Parts: sequence; C-alpha cells; structure tokens
Amino acid sequence: MFILTLPLNKHSVHVFTTGVEEEVSTLQEESERGGHRGKRRDSDRERKRRRKGRGKVASKDSGEGEEELQRRLEKRERARRKRAKKEQEVQGRERNEEEQAEMTSGKRANTRKNIKNDKTRKMEEGEGEGEAGERNTKRKKKHGSAKNDGKEEDGGEHTVKEKVQEVKKKKHEKVRPESLSPEELEKLKEAVDERKKLIQSLRGKPWPMKKKLVTLRESQEFVEKYEGALGKGKGRKLYAYKVMMTKALMGRPYGSIPRKTVPRAEETSAMDFAVLWDCGGYAQYSVLFYGFYNNQRAVGWLKFRMPLSYFLVGVGTVAYSYMVVIRTMARNANESGVGDDNSFNFSWKMFTSWDYLIGNPETADNKFASITTSFKEAILEEQESRKDDNIHLTRFLRVLANFLVLCCLAGSGYLIYFVVRRSQKFALDGLENHTWWERNEVNMVMSLLGMFCPMLFDVISALENYHPRVALQWQLGRIFALFLGNLYTFIIALMDEINLKREEEKIIKFNITMWETSLYNGTVSENSTAPPVTIQPADVPRGPCWETMVGQEFVRLIISDTMTTYIMLLIGDFLRAVLVRFLNYCWCWDLEAGFPSYSEFDVSGNVLGLIFNQGMIWMGAFYAPCLPALNVLRLHVSMYLQCWAVMCCNVPQERVFKASGSNNFYMAMLLVILFLSTLPAIYTIVTIPPSFDCGPFSGKKRMFDVIQETLESDFPAWFSKVFSYASNPGLVLPFILLMVLAIYYLQSTSKSYKEANVELKKKLHAVNSICFLLIIARTFMCF
Amino acid sequence: MVSPAIALAFIPLLLTLLIRYRYYFVLFYRAILVRIWKDCVTGLSREERAYQYVLTTATPGDPDSILDAFDVWCNKVEFISNIGPKKGKILDRMLMEQGPLTVLELGAHCGYSTVRIARALPLGARLYSVEMDQRNAAIAEKIVRLAGFDDDTVELIVNPSDEVIPRLRSDYGLDRLDFVFMDHWKKSYCPDLQMLEGSGLLGKGSMIVADNVLFPGAPKFLRHIRKSGLYEWKIHRATLEYSKGIRDGMAELVYQGIK
Repeated sequence: MFILTLPLNKHSVHVFTTGVEEEVSTLQEESERGGHRGKRRDSDRERKRRRKGRGKVASKDSGEGEEELQRRLEKRERARRKRAKKEQEVQGRERNEEEQAEMTSGKRANTRKNIKNDKTRKMEEGEGEGEAGERNTKRKKKHGSAKNDGKEEDGGEHTVKEKVQEVKKKKHEKVRPESLSPEELEKLKEAVDERKKLIQSLRGKPWPMKKKLVTLRESQEFVEKYEGALGKGKGRKLYAYKVMMTKALMGRPYGSIPRKTVPRAEETSAMDFAVLWDCGGYAQYSVLFYGFYNNQRAVGWLKFRMPLSYFLVGVGTVAYSYMVVIRTMARNANESGVGDDNSFNFSWKMFTSWDYLIGNPETADNKFASITTSFKEAILEEQESRKDDNIHLTRFLRVLANFLVLCCLAGSGYLIYFVVRRSQKFALDGLENHTWWERNEVNMVMSLLGMFCPMLFDVISALENYHPRVALQWQLGRIFALFLGNLYTFIIALMDEINLKREEEKIIKFNITMWETSLYNGTVSENSTAPPVTIQPADVPRGPCWETMVGQEFVRLIISDTMTTYIMLLIGDFLRAVLVRFLNYCWCWDLEAGFPSYSEFDVSGNVLGLIFNQGMIWMGAFYAPCLPALNVLRLHVSMYLQCWAVMCCNVPQERVFKASGSNNFYMAMLLVILFLSTLPAIYTIVTIPPSFDCGPFSGKKRMFDVIQETLESDFPAWFSKVFSYASNPGLVLPFILLMVLAIYYLQSTSKSYKEANVELKKKLHAVNSICFLLIIARTFMCF
Repeated sequence: MVSPAIALAFIPLLLTLLIRYRYYFVLFYRAILVRIWKDCVTGLSREERAYQYVLTTATPGDPDSILDAFDVWCNKVEFISNIGPKKGKILDRMLMEQGPLTVLELGAHCGYSTVRIARALPLGARLYSVEMDQRNAAIAEKIVRLAGFDDDTVELIVNPSDEVIPRLRSDYGLDRLDFVFMDHWKKSYCPDLQMLEGSGLLGKGSMIVADNVLFPGAPKFLRHIRKSGLYEWKIHRATLEYSKGIRDGMAELVYQGIK
C-alpha cells in the first residue's frame, strides 16, 4: 500500500500499516453488508427524512454504515494495539499514536465517503461533511496539545513523522490534491511546514550525525514532493478558498445526484461535440442550466440558502436593470433638456465641425473639403425637405411602404412559427434522425431573418422619401418590431413546448413512483429491515425539466446569433473587402467606388443589435444562470472582432447619427425591451409550477414559495406576522395610491418648472435684443 | 440538405439585392444581353445598327438632330456608352467657357461625342479624334461627315491612343493642346494622362475632361490626379448616361504645371 521508508519507530509504523491493511479488507466486506448493519442505528428522524427524499434511502444507510464501520474499526485497532503493547517502550507515545490512528481511520472513512460520492446520494452530505471537518479539527487541536505535552523532543518529532507518514499514504492512494478535502490539504500543508522547520533546526539537534543526515534527506524529499503539488503561498490559499467556496456555496459536486449526472442512456454520446454544441450531454447537466441546482435549503457550513438566493438574484438583476436604465434616462433628460439636436443644424456645422487636433496640412485640406461637402449636402437636404411635390403620391408611397413592411413582418413571424412547430415534430421523432440543418433550423432562421429583413426595410424606406433623420427612426422602429415579433413568436412556440414537457413530466413522475415502490418492495421481501440497493445517480429516471429546456433554447439562440454575426462579418465585410481591394486591379469597373464597394458600418443597427442581445439575456438568465457570463464573453470577443473589421474593411456611414448611451431614443428602446423581456420570464415563474426533480425549486408548488418558506423558517415569528400584515391588500392599495399621487405631483411640478424655464428663455431673448438695439443706437449716436 | 425554411429566410436578402441593385441589373440586360441577342439576330454590330437608325431618322447636316437620334436610340432601343445628354451639357458648357483651338479626343466610338464637341468649337478650331477600332472608326467618320463637319475641323486618327500621343507633336505638328476629352478604355486614362504630361503638349490652363471616372471608374487615374499636384480638379457628379440610378462622375482637370 505504501512504501516504508522510516527507519525510526518501526514497530509503530508496522502496527499502523497492518492496521490500515486490515481496515481496507474489512472495509470491503463491510461495504457489502453496511446497509443492513446501519439500519439498526437508524433513528426515527432519519426514517422520516428518508420517506421524504426519494433517492436518499440507500445512500443514507451506507453513510451511516460507514460511521458504524469506523467505530468498529477503531475498536479493532485498539485491540490490536493492546496486543502489540508489549513491544513498545514508551507508554506516553502509545496514547499519542492511538489518537493518531483513530484520526486516520476517521479520515479514512471520510475519504471513503469522497470516493463513494458518486455512489451515495445522501442529500445532507454537505452538512455531514461540515461536521466531519469540525470533528477533525477538534481532533487536530487535541493532537496539537498532546504534542505540546510530550516531554521528549523525540516524541514530538515522531508525531510529525507519523502525520507525514499518514498524509503520504493518503497521497499514494489519491494522486491529485484536488481530490483531498480542505481539512486534509490543511494537514498536508502543516506537515510540509513542520518538515521545513525541522530542516532549519536540524543543526542544533543533539542527535548522531547519521540520524541527522537521514532525517534531512527525507524531509527534503518530502518537502520537494508536496510543496509543488500544493502550490505555494497565495495560489494555495486561493485554491483552498475555491474549494471551500464550492463546498460552501454550490453544494454537492457534479455526479453526486441524478440532476447533476448525465443519464446512463446518454453517457456514450455526452461528450460528442455535436451534442455539446446543442447544449446537451455534459453541458445540459452543468452549472450552465437551471436543472443543475439542488433544492437543498442550506448548503455547507455557511448555511448558504441556495434556492432563495437563486430566486432573489434572478429578480434582483431585473430590478437593478430597471433602476439603471431609468436613472440613465433621467440623467440624459436633464442634460439634453435644453438643447435640441434637430434645429440649428447649420450653426452646429459652422461652429463645431473643425477638428482642432489636426496637425497635418493634407489632413486639414481633407477636413476642409469634407466640411464643405457636408454643408452642400445639408443645404441640398434642406431644400429637399422644403420642397413638396405631389403630396398624394408621397402619401400613397408611404402607405405602400408600410404595407410592404407589414407583409414582411407577418411573413417572418409565420416562418418562425412554422419552423418552431416543425422542430417540435423533429423532437418527437428523435433528433438523431435529422440533419444538422434541421436541428438548428429555428435559430438559423431567426438569425437570418434578423439579419436580412432590416436590409429589406432599408430598401423599402427609400420609397417614403422622408428626411433622413425621420427615416432612421422609422427604420429603427421597424427593426424593433421585427425583432420583438420574432422573439415573441419564439416564446409562444416555447410555451407550447413547455406544456408538452409538463404532460410528459406527469407520466414520468407516475412511472418513477412505480419504479421506487417496486424497488422498495423487492428489498422488503428479501430483508425486512431496509432497501439495501445503491442506485447509481446515472440510472435514476428523471423528468424532462422544462426549465433547462428553456435555458438551452436561449443559449442556443445566443450561440447561433453570435455565429451568424461572425460569419456575416467574415463574408459580408472581410471577404467583400478583400475581393473589392484585390480584384480591383483586374476588373472592368471600379469596385471600390462603384457597385459592391466596401460595406458601411451601421452604427444604429449595431446599437439595436446590442439592445436586443441584452433583451435575450434578460429573458433567458433565469433559466440559464451562466448566460450573462457567456454573453460578456461573447460581447468582448465581438467587440474586438468588430473593432478590427471596422478598421480594416468598413467605410464610415454616409450620414452619421448620434447613437450613444446619451441618446434617450435608444434608452427608451432598452426600457421597452426590458419590460417586454421580463414579461415572459415573470409569467413562467408565476404561473407554471417548477419541475419535480430538477432545479432549486423542485418539490415546491411555485417558484416564489421559496420566499414564504424562508419567512416561515428563517425569520422570527413576529417578522412573518408583520410581513403578512404588510402584504394585506388593505395596506397595499393605499400605498400604491399614495405612490401614484406622488408621481403625479412630481410630474406636475416638473412641468411647471419646464414652463418657467421656457419663460425665462423668452425673457433672456428679449433682453438680448434690447441690449442689441441699445448698442446699435449708441453706435449711431457716437457718429 | 438545407431545409426549405432556411432557404425561405434568404428571400429578404434576395429581394434587397434585387431592389438595391436594380439599375445594375437593368444595365446588364440592356448593354449585354440585348446586345448579344441582336448581334445574333441581325449579324450587324451594335454601332452599325445605331448608324442605320440615325441614318433613317436624323436630318443630314444637322448635328443636333443626329445627337437627338442617338439619344433616342440609346434610351429606347439599345445601350451605347456615349456621353449622354446630361453630361454632354456639362461638356458643352466647359467648351463654351474655354473656347479651345486645339482639341484632342481619345475614344471616338461611334462619333456621338465627336459631333458634340465639334458643334461647340469656335471657328478655326481643330479636333483630333482618336479611335482604336477600325469598324467603329468607319462609322464615326460617316456620322461626323453626316453632321456636316469637314476634314479641317475634325480629323479622325485610327490608332490606339498610346501610339498616337507620342507622335502628335511630330506627325501632326501640334504645339499645345487646349482641351483633351477622354472617353476610351478606362484603364488607359492614367497612362495616357502621364504620356500627355511627358509629351509637353499640356500648357498652363489646358483642360482635361475624363468621362466615367466613377462608373465603370478609373481609380488609378483619380489617385494620380490627387497625388501629382499638377492639376486643379473637380468631379462633376451625375448619373450614368441613359440610366437613372447609377452614379457616375466626370472629372474636370485644369493643368497648372509645376509650381
């Protein structure tokens, strides 16, 4: 099992070793019988709990079996120790060692638990482990004090060795430090430190030289071996922190319970790229999606309320987003309340168009030319807008354009609906029978429509003959309608799918109860105590989990959206630019100035794309908690990619309009999108009961029941009473009324302020003109 | 196999391209498809067909009526890349302002621009018209004579422009060119301009007008005039002849010499 290298205290080590060996052999037979024995020690409370949790049964027992086993082992160990006592010289050492061994066996049981993690399905393991940790540290403390009490230096050193030995053994069993529990890691680190100390103080020790040398060599080897594995200083601390946080916040790791494990049937294909790309396989049972999270009320020693915080974070982000958007809008309104971008076009151009950073005469010439052209164009534009020829024709054309746009919207909506329905049919048939194109049809069609329809709108809007600024607003409005329509069609189709899944879930739930009772009955007939079966989490049948499905759809949407953007960037911008640039040498017309030319960078379209992307994130974030992180990644990549594309293969737009965060037009759009995208999310949260076997709210009637639960069990009684009074409609309605009145009051005051402002402005104008007149008069008088 | 729904999603793109580039498609149809078809059917070249039409409809000796006949034919029947009435008016105005005595025309094609320039010239001025293609040159000759311009006013040189320009001084005894009109191969704009600069025929104030600098376009030519600093230049923006939606421009250069 491990290599015996210590020359000192051979006997004790020997005892230790044999003890371990026997322990292992007994463990093996114990694990077979563990369930039956553990049963005896079951208390009433545990029985109740078992009845509550479906999959808990076997694991609970096996866990207890282990405890029992540990106790027995200790007993056996002690007996062995007594037999070996005659060979021992120092009595004090014995106690020390015994403790050590006890601790080891305790830890072994602990480790054993870790190994069996995927076999056991005990829900409260987190807490159990926490307790184990506490126990361990207590032991360690005791151990430490014992060490201090040790009269002889030799004895102290022995302890160190012992510890090291034991840790080393552990290391041999489990190669990676990742698999060690934090307590074990802590111990290992302590051992390393002690070794280091030993090396430093070796010179002053009153030992024979040989012993010194051997100790030194060993210690150095040990330090070298484990310090690297542990990492040093900060990194190690961070590592420990990470492990602690995962333990404390995330609850059980992957593969410990059914909802966190890939089902047996899918295991073979779970790592295939195609499956992962569709967010199936391992991705489906990962932190990425709702279904992964456990409904355990409190996780770890921090008593982290996972379901509650899941709910609160989901709701809180939306609330925070509302706050941010509205605050930005208010600030913009304050800043831009005075100025008007649309009037004074010429004076803006006149006084603000020069760029004072220009230091190159040629650039200055260019700038001069461009200002001149922009003036000419502005004049032309103004003339164009003043001229109204045949108003009836224009009106007709505008109506026609809107009609065409409506047709286009309806067509795209119908196409998406059709495609989603078709995909449901495919899903019923089994996705494996269909090609990649058919599987990704929905997302492809949505992305393509989102990309091409705005172009069509742009072409159609040429009919209307609006002023460019107005035309842009119409265009943005239409794109908005298109995206929103597409998104809502998609969601309506998703709702159908959710209902299908819930039907399926009912059947599966029934089947599972049948399956469980059959399991239970089978064991009862054989042994009247308890069901001894240990079921692998991968084998447990499970429901369809509509929440994860929704999350998957959104992640797929985001991914395909990203892919389409990148591909369009590559084809539409880069490839086009390359063709235009290099074919221009041998083409019969000027490609750069004429027909294909370089693509324009469409600022407003891109801003709109960002807004809709944000909307999708808001919608999907509740069911795919890692979606925002994914999106941040995507946005960063696309920022750099687009930056490069703009620099190397785009030309600036002919007409540039202000499209920044300071423009309330876009912020208003964002607000509307926020509202519309939270609607379906909130609707699903409020109306549809959560799946029974996945996600943080499983087992509850509604997702928001988690708040009530917290109020009842985590807060003092008076608080929930106060809350129930406060949520009484008799109290809420007057409060809302008060709020409405306050809003009305603020609105009217701001209105009157505005009027006062306008009045003051008028007066200022009047004063100005009077001053002007006075000055002129005085000038004349001077002559 | 791509599913039909995805193919349907490409319809907006198709429509967009069709609508946005409709003028180019129309041009392609008129200038290439119709031409090939008629070539096959009649066995005559495009220029010969145009000549027949002009001969039957226009009044001999009247340049205006010949130009009108050309315009009608190019608008209604087939497409020939003449300078067209709109850009022709700009050209007329420049000629009137300049009043050049020696004019060089590169690319006579079937004589439309030759007639147009000759019509606007002052008395005693002489137009040298260069055409590379033999058959086109024959038609141009007939058209010019039909319009009533004799050998003293218009001299047609049947040779490629890059051969003619170096020999202008020696063979034709020219000292200075007051006006140069370029409407031949767009690729030759830049080398021919450089050749003209090198020959020393351009003096201060000589005007060079180049048609179709934006479509089909002569990027090298534009780059050259931008960089060389020898010219005062501007581009008259207009649309392509006999077509509404395709933007084109005519470059007007005034030679300044080396400052």
